[in-house]
Amino acid sequence: MNGVRVGNRIIGAQSPVTIGWENVPKVEGGPFKRLFFTWFQPAVLFAMIAFWYYAPNSIAKASTAIGIGIAFRAFLLALEWVNPRFKSWELTWKECVTDLFYVGLGYTILNLVDNFIGSDVLIENLLASFDWDKFSWFTGLPLLVQAFLILFIFDFGQYWMHRGMHNWYPLWLTHSVHHYITQLNINKGAVGNPVELFLIGLGIGGLFDFLPRAALLAGAIGMSIGVYQHINVRFNTPAWWRFLFNTTEHHSLHHSQDFEATRSNYASNFIFIDRIFGTCVDGEAELLGMEGGRRMSIREQMLFPFTEGWKTMKEKLGKSDETHAVPAE
Amino acid sequence: MTGQAQSMKGAGDMMPGVAPTGDGRSWMRLIDWIWTVRGELTLPAGQSADEAFARLEPFFREPGTSFDQAAGSLSFTKKDPIAQDRMSIYDAGELRVEQRPDGGILRYWMTSRSLLFCFLAPLLFVAFGQIIVGVGMLVGPETEQADKKKKEEKEKVRELHWIDQMLGAPAPEKPKKDEKDKKKEEGKKNRYSPTSAYVFAGLFALLYIIGRILEDRLIRKRFLRSLAEG
Repeated sequence: MNGVRVGNRIIGAQSPVTIGWENVPKVEGGPFKRLFFTWFQPAVLFAMIAFWYYAPNSIAKASTAIGIGIAFRAFLLALEWVNPRFKSWELTWKECVTDLFYVGLGYTILNLVDNFIGSDVLIENLLASFDWDKFSWFTGLPLLVQAFLILFIFDFGQYWMHRGMHNWYPLWLTHSVHHYITQLNINKGAVGNPVELFLIGLGIGGLFDFLPRAALLAGAIGMSIGVYQHINVRFNTPAWWRFLFNTTEHHSLHHSQDFEATRSNYASNFIFIDRIFGTCVDGEAELLGMEGGRRMSIREQMLFPFTEGWKTMKEKLGKSDETHAVPAE
Repeated sequence: MTGQAQSMKGAGDMMPGVAPTGDGRSWMRLIDWIWTVRGELTLPAGQSADEAFARLEPFFREPGTSFDQAAGSLSFTKKDPIAQDRMSIYDAGELRVEQRPDGGILRYWMTSRSLLFCFLAPLLFVAFGQIIVGVGMLVGPETEQADKKKKEEKEKVRELHWIDQMLGAPAPEKPKKDEKDKKKEEGKKNRYSPTSAYVFAGLFALLYIIGRILEDRLIRKRFLRSLAEG
């Protein structure tokens, strides 16, 4: 396998990948199907913005957002079935159970832990102990600017946290578990070691004061862009969208079995952050995972960062013993 | 014939066989339906055991699968099968062909930790729900005290930017005092509400029923199709 040169790097030397939008397959079928899968993503995004911008205060509530989020994911699950990107990524019962287990953890026990050590709690304590006030000038900005800033600040931090996870071994130990998934489905974003799920959720958004409607808009925009990272649906994503936003294509490359490909496309929503820092690669991959696509059991996913870390530490300590050992003669 | 590097030592000894054994472990049959899929299929006319296993072999030529075939039976184990493996929910099992005057019969039993996990998952989420309620009871009074210590929030109503006013976005409302207290109370309740845990417990119970029926039918259909294929 020769791979393809992208900048200074050779992508796809270890595992097959498709590089360049012109090589990515298009949606096949009748004109309605092609129209639908071309404009679905932008239509949903603009509909969400319009809804949350104009919804009366009695409707613009977190509970409405949760309801819409669940219904939207259920609809996307149906789309996965109607127009899968790859047959090999089709959702099986076992994958569905595993994914939902992690979604369930997020809604229950991890949520509980977040009440005590989440970044918002830490920032709240920090502000209280130093008698600071939040940056309240934020609320004077137009709603959409506030929403964009909320998202961008989080995504920018998330980009560096994610990039750090791929470059610093202790962080990689927690994130590597997520890279053992061998297919992308709507709930796969939730699969990972709880330590990583906690780290990736850290943000400094709590430092700013913003209008509740701006937060709801940010949540809706984030969902309408980020939800497609892990999804098995083929879209004819418009060029402007894939220039600005992360797509399934970008994220499949990030999950590829090719090492160099995984070191790209770190941003969660805004792929232009990757473009700015030179880590964006446009294309897609079907073969995903680590160690040739080995699947981890939930038990191993929970323990891996600790067992692997312990193994590495023992190896290092063992090596240092050898270095100090003095030959007999 | 042995697939992969290692063969399996007497899988049938470790778990109840295709037919009830009648030994001390047969009581397991009362509950092992939870994680065990059993079935029998009639082989196409004239098909021998070797031919049948040859047709089923692709199922066991998957990464992480070891199998051992001898004298009309095939036993297998799977470790970390990939998601794309058509038998990924099974961890071990045995297939036997019995020849009868009216034709051959394939009997199989296969065990699945995934089914067992899904069966037990509702209990786990109910336990999570109880933990959330317990923690809420423990920290409730502390939070109230902390809330009292907090400064009174400014009652000022924030105004929208002129662009938003021009575009007609609804202006933020000044919350009424009792409504505010009610919301605060609701927020506290929601934070330690076990509802999501119970919803997931219900979801897993439903998923178990679906999986137990679906996977049983799927494997039967797949075996039948492979055996019939020329």
